[in-house]
Amino acid sequence: MASGIRIKAKLTGDQVEVKTLMKHEMETGTRKDSKTGETVPAHYIQEVKAEINGNVVMTANWGPAVSKNPYLSFNVNGAKAGDTLKISWVDNKGETDSAETTIS
Amino acid sequence: MYRSTRGLPVAVAAAAVLFIAGRFVPALAGDTGGAPEGPTIGPEVPAVEISLAYRPELDPGRAGYYGFGTTATPEMIAGWDIDVRPDGTGLPEGSGSVEEGEPLYEEQCAACHGFFGEGEGRWPKLAGGYGTLTEARPEKTIGSYWPYASTVWDYVHRAMPFFEPQSLTDDEVYAIVAYLLYLNDIVGDDFVLTRDNLAGIEMPHRDGFFVDPRPDVQNVACMKDCKDPDSIKITWDSTDLGVTPTEFFKGDEEEGETATAADPNLGLNVYQQACATCHKGGLAGAPIVGDRDQWRTRLAQGMDVLVEHAVNGYQGSAGYMPPKGGQIQLTDEEVAAAVRYMTASASE
Ligand code: HEC
Ligand code: HEC
Repeated sequence: MASGIRIKAKLTGDQVEVKTLMKHEMETGTRKDSKTGETVPAHYIQEVKAEINGNVVMTANWGPAVSKNPYLSFNVNGAKAGDTLKISWVDNKGETDSAETTIS
Repeated sequence: MYRSTRGLPVAVAAAAVLFIAGRFVPALAGDTGGAPEGPTIGPEVPAVEISLAYRPELDPGRAGYYGFGTTATPEMIAGWDIDVRPDGTGLPEGSGSVEEGEPLYEEQCAACHGFFGEGEGRWPKLAGGYGTLTEARPEKTIGSYWPYASTVWDYVHRAMPFFEPQSLTDDEVYAIVAYLLYLNDIVGDDFVLTRDNLAGIEMPHRDGFFVDPRPDVQNVACMKDCKDPDSIKITWDSTDLGVTPTEFFKGDEEEGETATAADPNLGLNVYQQACATCHKGGLAGAPIVGDRDQWRTRLAQGMDVLVEHAVNGYQGSAGYMPPKGGQIQLTDEEVAAAVRYMTASASE
């Protein structure tokens, strides 16, 4: 379980409801460490991408205002059961994570 | 796989409560058939004085017979004796997989606890939170905090889903618990939880608790030359905080009469409950408590007018003040107390 992304993708009619939870600190860059008093450096997801069978179906540009361990849900039309859904993100430090699931 | 932070100074009591909640203590009622333990009252025992209004005839031939209650049947005991211990004692036969647990969880639990255990709104979070126990806002979840998997089984079986506890079958509980362990990265997605493997599951925070070594009481009991009890005065109690409903207190002297002692916090309490919504921040044009400029001309009208306006409501130039702030169950006296509280802080 190397990925910090969990995905659920369920087909109802011709719409896939995608739910995903991403493990990420989402540091705003303005919070101060309560013990040291030093500002905790910004560290947040900047881009989230959803791909079905390799085709990008959604891109989201995020900023520091998104909460820690973000939860994202969206619907996609026109996919079928058995298609592969991939979710990936890139953060402001260039770190990335991704996970795949089969639409059911 | 995440690891939890250890050595957190959590009093063991927190955990103890969870586990003791399910302990079954057999009742000492009825004919215990001469049970070796438990109090017995008979001619040979120097009587411990028990003050009971109703004293049945003692039957010296039947030790422990009190003349009331009935012996609990094995079925009655079984209905209460549902606790599951860390070593697996108490678990029923059964099993369930992560795969079977997923749809059950989504149907019965996700609405409150979130599809990934992240917690919808303010409902409790059940997964994640690893490494947060020493932070300012610790997230205590099954994975980050609970020391034994048996508690998850016991809790879900006993108390969930919230509005329909004990409606799940044993196999469903196994499956849902398997799924909760999976959401916490404790088991893989092909895991099958059974009566036999549950006790062997190593929870990440299993070593995070210790027995608090501090004594319960710090003071040493005084045995001689002690303070004169009459010289001891109570200088402070919780009623000073304004959180204790003192109107229910009855002094020894006023037993039988209606206690009418004025509650010094009445005004504050009524204000917080019925008036602060508008008067704290100035909602709907309400004069803000503590803002003298806003109250000066109002105060000049005199207390009677202010109370009358607060009790009966009125339309002013700044807005509409509803009768009793909309809480018609309040007595006129309570509203007047709130007005006194509100204006006192404005005229200070
Ligand atoms: C209607 C909302 C609701 C539903 C549905 C619900 N729960 Fe809960 N759950 C709660 C609330 C509220 C609490 C906290 C209860 C308390 O602390 O007294 C809780 C507490 C828990 C806890 C303990 C959390 C902790 O850390 O103390 C577990 C485990 C749990 N629920 C599991 C489940 C499972 C499994 C289901 C589905 C079978 C379920 N719940 C369904 C509302 C819900
Ligand atoms: C829904 C909002 C709201 C609530 C709740 C509310 N008030 Fe008011 N109150 C007002 C507004 C608006 C005014 C100003 C009306 C004006 O003079 O135009 C006001 C004015 C007053 C005044 C000044 C009267 C005057 O003649 O100048 C008093 C005293 C008062 N409220 C007491 C209370 C008390 C006591 C409560 C709680 C029991 C309460 N209010 C709850 C909105 C509220």
